[in-house]
Amino acid sequence: MLYDLNIAWSPSTTQSDLTQTLRFSASLGYHAVALNHLIENVPPQPKNPLPRFPSQTSQSQPAKSAASTGDSDNSNSNKETQKTDDGDRLPTVLHRATVCMSDPAGVQRIPQLAALYDLVAVRPTTEKEFSHACQEVRIEVASLISLDLTQRFPFHFRPKPCMAAVSRGLRFEVCYGQTLRGGDPRARATWIGNLMELVRATRGRGIVVSSEARRVTELRGPADVVNLLAVWGLAADKGTEGLGVNPRGVVVNEGINRRGYRGVVDIVQVAAKDEEAGDKMEGIETAESQAQKGKAAAAGGNGKKRKGGANEGRGNGSGNVLPADGAVSKRQAKKLKKLAAQEGTATPEENKSS
Amino acid sequence: MVRIKERYLLVNILYPSEIGLKPGVPDVVVINQPTTDKLKPQALLNGIRAEVAHTFGDFGSGALEGGGLQVKYLSTATSTFILRITRAQYRMLWTALTFMDHVPVRDGKPCTFRVVHVSGTIRKVEEAAIRHARDLMFAVKDQAGEKEKATLEAMFGQAKRTRQAAAMPAPLNVDDDSGDEDMVDISDD
Repeated sequence: MLYDLNIAWSPSTTQSDLTQTLRFSASLGYHAVALNHLIENVPPQPKNPLPRFPSQTSQSQPAKSAASTGDSDNSNSNKETQKTDDGDRLPTVLHRATVCMSDPAGVQRIPQLAALYDLVAVRPTTEKEFSHACQEVRIEVASLISLDLTQRFPFHFRPKPCMAAVSRGLRFEVCYGQTLRGGDPRARATWIGNLMELVRATRGRGIVVSSEARRVTELRGPADVVNLLAVWGLAADKGTEGLGVNPRGVVVNEGINRRGYRGVVDIVQVAAKDEEAGDKMEGIETAESQAQKGKAAAAGGNGKKRKGGANEGRGNGSGNVLPADGAVSKRQAKKLKKLAAQEGTATPEENKSS
Repeated sequence: MVRIKERYLLVNILYPSEIGLKPGVPDVVVINQPTTDKLKPQALLNGIRAEVAHTFGDFGSGALEGGGLQVKYLSTATSTFILRITRAQYRMLWTALTFMDHVPVRDGKPCTFRVVHVSGTIRKVEEAAIRHARDLMFAVKDQAGEKEKATLEAMFGQAKRTRQAAAMPAPLNVDDDSGDEDMVDISDD
């Protein structure tokens, strides 16, 4: 499963551009993407203006489907990629809001946003906001710290707050698309510098890699992205995690936060109650008892008398000794037979088996 | 005798910005459309060198000169090429390819370069190229033939190959120093 948790969206983004980006990301191999709405000032009554895609009938559904596809099961792959009318594939589309922390009222209103969006991220710009995000912001509120690495930060990333954030379950997001844009020639250098510092501070842990693609040309294949980050200092395995495991954790966590009870208990599936369940239980029991029998028989190789007694007892109880003997390997059976022949006293069950 | 270790990169040229402009044509076909014939190996090399010089400066250019960069194969019809470089420099070359955003000819179309396979021997790269091309063919057939699928199924029975498997050639697997790296996926966890 590959995730790209940031496809930039703004009110000026056209639908056709967006579908183009989504279709290309599907063909590059991404399974789930998130449309990102960067909100500078959260209005008192926030709304979710992000466009919906065919599969999204209700708000909670995409997170749910993403969570279920996150369960590493290829059998439900038809859920995770949808088709448009032309028969072209789209990845699972999630909705995400990124709140600038320079607006304290916005941070207060995050719970309202959480009800509207599938994911919520915070974007700090100053040191105070950054350490607040790392140490104070609860994981139930926002699980991503999105950093705009193209701007110079007036502070250094120190390992302590960064590692505190990672161990609390927050993830840092870096967006490679920012380096692929033209424009400011210093932006790329600043980005690289910031990334190196962030990797040093976190030792490469807890980093989520996403594109922040405004146009389709800013998307790259997963292998290319991993290589890019490997050149700038993030080890290839950590980069791979940043595309797969870490964002999956974020998506699943946020999904459980919204659906489950207090973000801890979640109903995965309701067990069907019918005779089948009973049968299954019986099956397990018999299998278990057979295994026990096998074990007993195997152990009996050492102390013959005890084995004979145990097997006899069970034979009387359940009335099927044969499967237990079947569990004895051929070699074992031969050995037993030989021993019995040596002593000249054959126990009843060995009579049966021979 | 010390052998010079090399890396061969199999690269595809993709044209994502034309998705959706031609109704009725599957995405796979649009993305993997042929490249202009004006793209000659020399032009490609010049483009790569310029990008490396821009990204890595003199150090990068020098490393590439010493690395023996070579275009081993270039097919504009399938938008595929194979590059050779010494192992020490291949990530630099790869980065330059990632940063390139148009075909390196005059008025080149916007495109992206996707490294599909990295390998230590040209034989493995060749095999990967063939495999990749075949996967693409299946993907195209799957996407194009979807409408007629029902009738075909009625005639020949259910297709064995699933669409998912065919259309996903290979997301990634990057490992530093193994001899042969297939970009096959981390996705099948």
